[in-house]
Amino acid sequence: MITVTINEKICSGAEGSTILEIARANGIYIPTLCFLEGVSDIGSCRMCMVECEGYQMLLAACRTKIKEGMIIRTESEKLSSYRKAMLELILSNHKTECMSCPSNGACELQTLCNRYEVSHGLPYGTRTEMDLKLPILHDHPFISYEPQKCIHCQRCINACHQIACNGTLKSDRLGSFHIVNAPFGKAYKESGCESCGNCVSVCPTGALTLKKENAYRNWEIKRVLSTCPHCATGCQLYLIVKDGKIVNVEAASGPSNQKRLCVKGRSGSIDFVHSKDRLTKPLIKAPSTGAFREVSWKEAISYVAERFMSIKKQFGSEALAGFACSRSANEDIYMVQKMVRTCFGTNNTDNCARVCHSASVTGLARTLGSGAMTNPIGDITTDVDCILLVGSNPEEAHPVVGMQIRKAVKKGTRLIVVDPRDIGLSSLADIHLKLRPGTNVAFANGMMHVMIKEDLIDHDYINEHVEGFSELKALVEKYTPERVAEICHIDPHQLVEAARMYATAGKAPIIYCLGVTEHSTGTEGVMSMSNMAVITGKIGRSGCGVNPLRGQNNVQGACDMGAMPTDYPGYQKVDNEDVRKKFEHAWGVSLNPVPGLKATDVFPAAIEGRIKGLYICGEDPVVSDPDTHHIVKALESLDFLVVQDLFMTKTAEYADVILPGISYAEKEGTFTNTERRVQRIRKAVTLDGDMRPDTDIIIDLMNAMGYKQPYLTPKEIMDEIASVTPSFHGISHERLDRGESLQWPCPDKDHPGTPIMHAGHPARGKALLYPAEFKESQELPDEEYPFILSTGRILYHYNAAAMTKRTPGLMDISGEGFIEVNYKDAERLGIGKGDRITVRSRRGEITATAHVGRKVSEGETWMPFHFPDSPVNILTNAALDEFARIPEYKVCAIQLVPNKHKEVKV
Amino acid sequence: MRQLPKKGNMNERIDTVLHKFRSRMTSYPPGMCPLTLYRSLLHISMNQSCGKCIPCRDGLHEVDRLLKSIINGEAAPDTLSELEKKCLMIEETSDCAVGASGARLILDSLKDFSDEYESHIKNKRCIENTVQTIPCITLCPAHVDVPGYIAHIKEGHPEDAVKVIRDRNPFPTACAYICEHPCENKCRRSLIDAPINIRGLKKYAVDNVSADSVPTPRRNVSTGKKVAIIGGGPGGLTAAYFLALMGHKADIYEEHEKLGGMLRYGIPEYRLPKEMLDRDIKAILSSGDIEVFTDTKIGRDIPFSKLNSEYDAVYIGIGAQLGNRMPMENHDAEGVIPAADFLQKVARGESTDLSGKKVVIIGGGNVAMDAARTVVRLHAETVHVFTRKRDDYTALESELESAMQEGVRFRTLLSFLHIETNNETGTVQAVWLQPEIVNTYDDFGFVTTEHSSNYPYRFKCDLLILGVGQRSDSEAFSKEGVPVERGRILASEACRVDGMEGVFSGGDCVTGPSTAIRAIAAGQVAAINIDEYLGYHHKIALETDIPPAYPNPCIPTGRAEIEEKDPFERRTNFDFVELPMTYEEAMRESGRCLRCDHYGCGSMEGGRGDK
Repeated sequence: MITVTINEKICSGAEGSTILEIARANGIYIPTLCFLEGVSDIGSCRMCMVECEGYQMLLAACRTKIKEGMIIRTESEKLSSYRKAMLELILSNHKTECMSCPSNGACELQTLCNRYEVSHGLPYGTRTEMDLKLPILHDHPFISYEPQKCIHCQRCINACHQIACNGTLKSDRLGSFHIVNAPFGKAYKESGCESCGNCVSVCPTGALTLKKENAYRNWEIKRVLSTCPHCATGCQLYLIVKDGKIVNVEAASGPSNQKRLCVKGRSGSIDFVHSKDRLTKPLIKAPSTGAFREVSWKEAISYVAERFMSIKKQFGSEALAGFACSRSANEDIYMVQKMVRTCFGTNNTDNCARVCHSASVTGLARTLGSGAMTNPIGDITTDVDCILLVGSNPEEAHPVVGMQIRKAVKKGTRLIVVDPRDIGLSSLADIHLKLRPGTNVAFANGMMHVMIKEDLIDHDYINEHVEGFSELKALVEKYTPERVAEICHIDPHQLVEAARMYATAGKAPIIYCLGVTEHSTGTEGVMSMSNMAVITGKIGRSGCGVNPLRGQNNVQGACDMGAMPTDYPGYQKVDNEDVRKKFEHAWGVSLNPVPGLKATDVFPAAIEGRIKGLYICGEDPVVSDPDTHHIVKALESLDFLVVQDLFMTKTAEYADVILPGISYAEKEGTFTNTERRVQRIRKAVTLDGDMRPDTDIIIDLMNAMGYKQPYLTPKEIMDEIASVTPSFHGISHERLDRGESLQWPCPDKDHPGTPIMHAGHPARGKALLYPAEFKESQELPDEEYPFILSTGRILYHYNAAAMTKRTPGLMDISGEGFIEVNYKDAERLGIGKGDRITVRSRRGEITATAHVGRKVSEGETWMPFHFPDSPVNILTNAALDEFARIPEYKVCAIQLVPNKHKEVKV
Repeated sequence: MRQLPKKGNMNERIDTVLHKFRSRMTSYPPGMCPLTLYRSLLHISMNQSCGKCIPCRDGLHEVDRLLKSIINGEAAPDTLSELEKKCLMIEETSDCAVGASGARLILDSLKDFSDEYESHIKNKRCIENTVQTIPCITLCPAHVDVPGYIAHIKEGHPEDAVKVIRDRNPFPTACAYICEHPCENKCRRSLIDAPINIRGLKKYAVDNVSADSVPTPRRNVSTGKKVAIIGGGPGGLTAAYFLALMGHKADIYEEHEKLGGMLRYGIPEYRLPKEMLDRDIKAILSSGDIEVFTDTKIGRDIPFSKLNSEYDAVYIGIGAQLGNRMPMENHDAEGVIPAADFLQKVARGESTDLSGKKVVIIGGGNVAMDAARTVVRLHAETVHVFTRKRDDYTALESELESAMQEGVRFRTLLSFLHIETNNETGTVQAVWLQPEIVNTYDDFGFVTTEHSSNYPYRFKCDLLILGVGQRSDSEAFSKEGVPVERGRILASEACRVDGMEGVFSGGDCVTGPSTAIRAIAAGQVAAINIDEYLGYHHKIALETDIPPAYPNPCIPTGRAEIEEKDPFERRTNFDFVELPMTYEEAMRESGRCLRCDHYGCGSMEGGRGDK
């Protein structure tokens, strides 16, 4: 500890803290303008200068570290006059049309000028004339930059470099003046800017603004703290509400985002809520015409209940199924599965985790005893030695995680990227293993071969906490680097190096995503990740673990809430007698002991006629599930389909009844992010129309189907969840509203939650090492279909794009389906950059714009699945994994047909 | 991917600009307003601002605005305090040295040039320096018409060149050989390539015509006045020359056997052969009624008061010939000698062979270098020069380089602890040296040193030469009422000795050890003022016309340097070391002269800089 005197007060602080930090900690005010904690301490504004004995110059408090015995004064006549002088100088070069400025009332310069009674600048601004000639940059769909209002504090540049860690905003110079090179002019698409807007959020004035900010002033709005509805990072945000309408989004300081947001979160989270094409009335399809007609809720509810109950009566409970939505709230999901189990009388309930991370849930539960991400995001991206990133492109799919990985790498963390594509992070990686899609198991076995052979494993951990080591050792013995290199199309030396780098690193997390799970060997892929972490003892420790980045905002919650055919909430098994008894007691009905069908098995069952009635809450399998024709055939085979959604989706078109629900911004509830963190969403607005809270709709349905379900608020539903779910016992809306951040397991009201799983020992007791042989993907390229196709996500859209395509700006930036093709293949086939080509698999054909380059390897291609103009799931293969029944989105065989050939044929 | 800087990148390209920048700065002509110069400096600071912090990036612009209004005479008196307040604010609030030093510059100017500021605000004009002047003429202490004599050289008239030089300086030969040539420092030719080699051209002239064969101007009829000149060095001889031309009788009293002062007894033969010096002296002595009394020391052989009463005026030009010794034990032991004394001894022909001797020289000035190079020629086994700081090498760069070439060894950051003598013989046998490290700058802008933690060490030495300055032998004059402070005679810029009618003085005995050309300037000024004191305004004829100036094509051309002979050959003897300039070199070099006497400020009234 270091002791200093500030304004005659003795203050002490840790070595390395700044004068500003210690002053603030002691309640002493020092004005700041350019300083922003964690973003910028360049000391450009000099507002924070203080007097310190022994120094002739004044010291910038924000960037001067304390030294023992410093005697500091934060206020004096001189300091006040200098601070005034600074503000005058700034104001001289600042456009003071505050009335028309969107930052009016929120402007930090304005606040300080008021405080120091500075009303205008000097008569002559040294750079005003130049600034007036610099163009206002407003070609970007969301962001604009007005140089005349810029005070050159460089917060935006630092935010771009240190927070987003993207580095597209730069310092430029014009003569002797600093200017901000902001990528929001005409060439914004080529700038590398990710449009995240974190620069805007740190701008102290109105120089950088979101265009949406023009619609309101700071004093006209209320801020509603909520959780981002896109990916499962779980970024905290404020919905900005003016006159009953959400007008903007601001970042909040959540544990997983630390005031960051990505473009989807900041700019794609509200347009869909207020979209004109929201469903507002319940609809029933006339069997004769196939046309929907608007009906009353009463009619809709009784019709739905009657139809489901008659199917149950005629074909039995097993002819019904109900899918919950991993985009909706925990409370909604809990009620869906409760309805399916209590009213339908079946365990045929699932959620779309089936098609993304069911392999993680199954695989990790099997090897470690719990199928969730082991460590928090902050823990695995701060102060770690090495990150092993497998089959994950977080810069696009989990951008705020991507930013934090970039930050870690910038600070010296080594990065091993295992991915078939040149993703953005591979350019920062120490090693990029650009392996052939579908060879993860071989890769992991090769890694472990090296670790065991070179004795880089943790014998103590293995002896104490592990079973199955000898079997694993025997199996990986065969996976020599040379053999694995041949399977994976990688360099054996790089594999050996990667194994050494990961195994010898003190703190090293494995972070993986759908590149591991979405294979017919997905669960074995997941277990292989677990194997690597286990034999190196990198489990149950800070900065380590096995970390699947979950897909949707609440896909973790959907699994936790028991929207799974095998599990009640909290992974309590349906085939466990005691568990079932407990739920029968709680719910007051007898429950079906037979595990249900997994979602991906429901569709074939529908085609076979075993499933007759299906309730889908908020999912769009026609777009998001593999082999669209197969899904459509299944939906058409159903006797009765109910879809509860915000929009008329592709799937809804096949429904008999459509029930209009409400979005995350209109309801209370919770989402559980990828870190198992349960976070609140809050009602910000009530919209015109007859749509109703999803829990109310479900409760109506339950009552109509004969189950006496009392009407509960989301808060009360969470209390019921907590009462039946041991890992949620301690979780409640009250605790969350008090500001606590809880990660399950949270077994009681005083438990702080569990950031790191498997501490001490694996949840399973002993970790299981599962020896998995490498198996080829089910559909390999051949002469007729010579290319491998993988699918994935891009930064600007989310999944079926139901939400993101309703934000025009996102469509402006990226609005067209495309296929990535290697330049050599393209040259061979005569495909040019930007050509619209035909892509065909055994299951169908679509067109897409060719993106030709080096991103994918020869013989491989890649497509996003968001775009209606290139519905790639028409092509994908519904081959399923043996354990989790997850489909093989990442590998199917296709052919590419340049359009000119087609024209010749026609 | 990382990259090395691109070839021809902006920073490299800027370096060529900075080169031009430097040459612009060196060629800033005499006659500038200091405030405009400060504004240029301020602009450099503004350019150097990275643009991060407000005080520097915006504040300096505000300072510039104020400074500009002051320079243009548009400012009110309170602008000064506003300027000072702003600068103090910037200095105290800047994050790095760019802003702080920019503001400090202007604060310094407010202190150092308060008179100039006041003049701008009150009188709306500069306080002095209102006219720009020709750099070479202004900077030559004797104000020799440099463009004029270079024009004669170009025209192939070296004898006329000698005449032009003599109009201000009767030592064309000596100065051609040893002058420090301040005339070259701000040569306008730097704007194009490099300064003219003025000394080289002068040497070409006197190498091609023996100065004593060029007639001195026709002298005035005798005035009957008598002036005593004490000291037959460059200053005294110059005074005698001009007084004689004006018709006065000049009696020179010289302590040594021969005339020439330090030119003879201080400058070694290899730099200025005595026969060359004799040409100038011969010409001087032929110019008029000059009588010389050698081996006559005033104060020893004749009292000063006697001269003062017998002559109409007296000029004291006794120089600074006594070598200093350090105030430490054994400083006068055998084998310890001041550099000036050593050089004098050698010049008098008392040279000893130093074969097998280790010689140590303390000090880095020109005299020390002369001593070092002389020691080399006396066949010493080793010659070491020790200084405390790099700043102590005050000798001309070319002298240092030549000494190094000739095998003199240099060590710095060593302070001199004490002199060790042999117990039996009492002669020096070693010096003790203390390693130093550099420290802060002192009030005069010189870096100071402090003892390093490394131990002192003993350095064997058979001869220790102390190059630590000279002083005047002024004691006798002081005793007879001549005002002397710290060994120096107190005299004005007009060379009048304070409070003594008819007594004039100048040169090293007034200024401390300095250059020959300054002594010559003093002699010239004293002669003119003595003439005036005696009630006259005699003119001295320049018996040649300056050739007309023609436009110069200004093609960047290298400067013709004077080369020296092979250093290994040089060190074996006392022969003159420089190689002569060829005709072609001299023509090309003189052709580079821009004739500032005709073009630019030189044609304006008062623009020559020779007053």
